[in-house]
Amino acid sequence: MKNSIEVIWKEGFLNEKSLVAPKINDLYNQKSKHLVDKMKRMFKVNLIVIVIMAILFLIIYYFLDAIWQGAAVSVLLLLTAWYSIRQKRSIKTLDHGATSLDYLKSFDRSIKDALSEDEKILRFTYPLYFLIAMSTIWSAWNKGPITSKMYQKYPDVIFIGSVPLFAWIIAGVATLLMFYFSDRIYRWDVGLIYGRVFRKLEETIAEMEKLKQG
Amino acid sequence: MSNDFYQTSILPFAAIIIKICRAYTNSQEDFEDYYQEVCLQIWRSKDNFREQCKWSTWVYRISLNVCLTLLKKSKGNGQTYFTSDVLPDVIITENRAFEDESLNQLYVAIRHLSEVDRALILLYLEEKSYQEIADILGTNANNIGVRVNRIKERLKKILDEKFN
Repeated sequence: MKNSIEVIWKEGFLNEKSLVAPKINDLYNQKSKHLVDKMKRMFKVNLIVIVIMAILFLIIYYFLDAIWQGAAVSVLLLLTAWYSIRQKRSIKTLDHGATSLDYLKSFDRSIKDALSEDEKILRFTYPLYFLIAMSTIWSAWNKGPITSKMYQKYPDVIFIGSVPLFAWIIAGVATLLMFYFSDRIYRWDVGLIYGRVFRKLEETIAEMEKLKQG
Repeated sequence: MSNDFYQTSILPFAAIIIKICRAYTNSQEDFEDYYQEVCLQIWRSKDNFREQCKWSTWVYRISLNVCLTLLKKSKGNGQTYFTSDVLPDVIITENRAFEDESLNQLYVAIRHLSEVDRALILLYLEEKSYQEIADILGTNANNIGVRVNRIKERLKKILDEKFN
């Protein structure tokens, strides 16, 4: 080595053209891209998990000898997956706008629209999942001597179609509660998976707007 | 970020940011990402500047923090990250960011150092005093000199091995 590192450094940077700052045109371009890509990846993984669950439930319910309930859960999950794919397509056709801020804003809007649509659908599907689960539990019990034992032990209990009336009432109330609270359950569910990244999206948009104002 | 702020508070110190970002990136794309993130962070934290130090010191501190954070993030995301010892020569020697070949070689050697050693030697080469280096890195000034000498030895060894 001819020169010391100090000399290399000093002489190297004399008249060094590479020290010209890179142009900053769209400061958040790359950042927005990373964020949207991350969210799209998360949606994709979620979709794959739903499809896997649909298959798994069918297998598990088959072994529980409750194939119809399993088929119902699978169909519901596959419908959810199909609906998510439709929503993803609408995100793909989003207007990229003039800047990354426009794009992020329309991305955020489309996600919020999708979530509110999901909320409407899940108002019915959550109670349905619950009823299917109840039905599975009951059909599993019914195969055993539980019903006859209950008949003997509580002869005063009213049965409707081999199900005690109080069980119908509990299931009915729980279903109504699920129907009523479905939006909150869904928001909690979504927050659990996407909460952090949604907050990040909102923070980025807020920061970009502030940046725009100077 | 207003154009005024960029012109008056960042652009005059662009050389500092460029020198630091180059030491922590292996491609032009990454370099531009890091540079932009540093500029943003300077803008974001401008209100926290209390004039207890020079603005240039503030820029050094933010640039180093951002570069170290981004490097850590890229490790966490499982992105291709090369530690100093396993950095493939093909990648680092092809990254000729400067016209001066000796400078390119020096940067190759610097990228072989650990993250903190890179920061330390950059500040030393920028002729910061040991106390300033310690202030920027948030460390004790006592052993800076010993560490600098050790790093210089290591750099010489790397340069001899790779380029002589």
